[in-house]
Amino acid sequence: MQLILQLVLDGIVHGCALGLIAMTFSYIYVTTGIFHVAHAGILTLGGYLAWYFTGVGVPFPVAVAIAVAGSAAVGVLIQKGVYEPLMKRRSTPLVQLIASIGIVAVIQNLLAIVFSPNVLQFEMLPWRKSSLHLGSLDISYPQLLTVIVSLVAALGLLLFSSRTALGRRARAVASNRSFAEIARLRPYDVYVYVVAIGAGLVAIPGIFLGVDQALQPYSSLGLLLTAVIAMIAGGVGSLPGAFLVALVLGVLQNLVLAMVPGRWSQALTFAIFITFILMRPTGLFRIRMQRAS
Amino acid sequence: MALSTNFLVGIIGIFSVSQAALMGVGAYAYAGVAMAGMPFPVALLAAVTLCALLNTVTSLPALRLAGDYFVITSFGLQFIATAVFVNWVQVTGGSTGIAAIPAPRMLGISFEEPQYFVILSSLALALASLAYTLLMRSSYGRVLHAVRLNELAAGAAGRNVLKMKLGVSAVSGIYAGLAGALYAIFMSYIDPSSFEIQQSIVILTMLVIGGARTLAGSLIGPLLLLAIPQVLSLVHIAPELLGPTRALVFGALLVVFMLWRPQGIAGRKI
Repeated sequence: MQLILQLVLDGIVHGCALGLIAMTFSYIYVTTGIFHVAHAGILTLGGYLAWYFTGVGVPFPVAVAIAVAGSAAVGVLIQKGVYEPLMKRRSTPLVQLIASIGIVAVIQNLLAIVFSPNVLQFEMLPWRKSSLHLGSLDISYPQLLTVIVSLVAALGLLLFSSRTALGRRARAVASNRSFAEIARLRPYDVYVYVVAIGAGLVAIPGIFLGVDQALQPYSSLGLLLTAVIAMIAGGVGSLPGAFLVALVLGVLQNLVLAMVPGRWSQALTFAIFITFILMRPTGLFRIRMQRAS
Repeated sequence: MALSTNFLVGIIGIFSVSQAALMGVGAYAYAGVAMAGMPFPVALLAAVTLCALLNTVTSLPALRLAGDYFVITSFGLQFIATAVFVNWVQVTGGSTGIAAIPAPRMLGISFEEPQYFVILSSLALALASLAYTLLMRSSYGRVLHAVRLNELAAGAAGRNVLKMKLGVSAVSGIYAGLAGALYAIFMSYIDPSSFEIQQSIVILTMLVIGGARTLAGSLIGPLLLLAIPQVLSLVHIAPELLGPTRALVFGALLVVFMLWRPQGIAGRKI
């Protein structure tokens, strides 16, 4: 029982990180219509940036801020440099997807070359290993931080999307780009903001998963895929849906660990998903289902 | 190998990133059967049949789904396959892989010698290319093009679109199985890392650069990309960074080609 509870707790932590990835991916996908696989690259990049700056002696919170800003900047670069020209040329979604896959390959391998293809640890943070005891359960400081920061960021994105003028503008562009263009909402500017916000926020799970476990240049694609599954199961276009399903998936993946060895757990998620998508392609919370074009 | 992906991407307009996984299945199947002492044609047939079956079955759900969902299932299959290769130790040997895969012996010649292997693989490539050309010129091939251009219209004209797509999946599986078996023979050693998602991306790059939807494209792409490691060896790079550098160049090529020449060197519009 104790083991199960501990696994659920770990699952919640993992799920919060996944949730933020799923939400930001969903936000970019719904608004721009690009299947932004490069999101996985930015996720990794955020972690490595934070690692580098903490390594050279910058205080951790500042390093996190730099990593978030840096990731957002790379997001802008990708949107301006690659996606925007492709969109303006009306290239097919397939071409955009292939370009995005190319970007992931570039980012991941660049990181592997600059830093190291091997696993890196945040050794300079002494509080990394200490943990809080809740009865018989353990939650480490990195885990606690992951939950808090992810929740705050997710809530922030929700509020931004529904309450601010820019957030509403983004939703207008998402729902109908041509109308938005006529209404002078300048979709291309909106895309830049959206990709930048998504990229900045996705750096957060990248950093905290890295602090909690370790940094690896190539592990993020599997994570992103799980997040995308959460987005679909939660209903494309529903940000809270994406977060909630990711949370559930995180817990499930950890519970499965009690029964089968580690590497099967992710494969099992995908297998279940493929069956699921056949049965109910509209997701659990059906809000709006259309292929963003 | 790029031929197989070309079949899926270019001809029918669906896209797959799990080709390396499929090739892996072919390689493992060949290795398993050949190690059991079966003769070469039996092992090859086993690999090809298994891949064709598997590709058909796994595309079954995907064909019902819209483009982006197919991509996800395809990524998912790739990850599942890697997990199976690594974890199903009894059959695949786990992460250590399978070593000492026997080379085929036919008509008293062992194909272990490189010069004979070249003959074998060239023969296979020539046969595969010939079959591809014939297939595309046949009435079947023309219907396939029709399906890609307009699925609804093809359906309205009385063609069974689903059956067509399944047929393509099977053929593509056959090519992947063939490639996998040849790979297993050539390396005589296979392990999961040869069939990971990075490898799928390499195959995709070959196809994209060569050009989708043409035979010439499928042949030019691999030749060019295989030359890149040779060029890189002129520059001085630490050996452990060689893999990442190569993958970096491939990724950059993908982006560059999508930006300036999405149809590749010898391809038609995708």
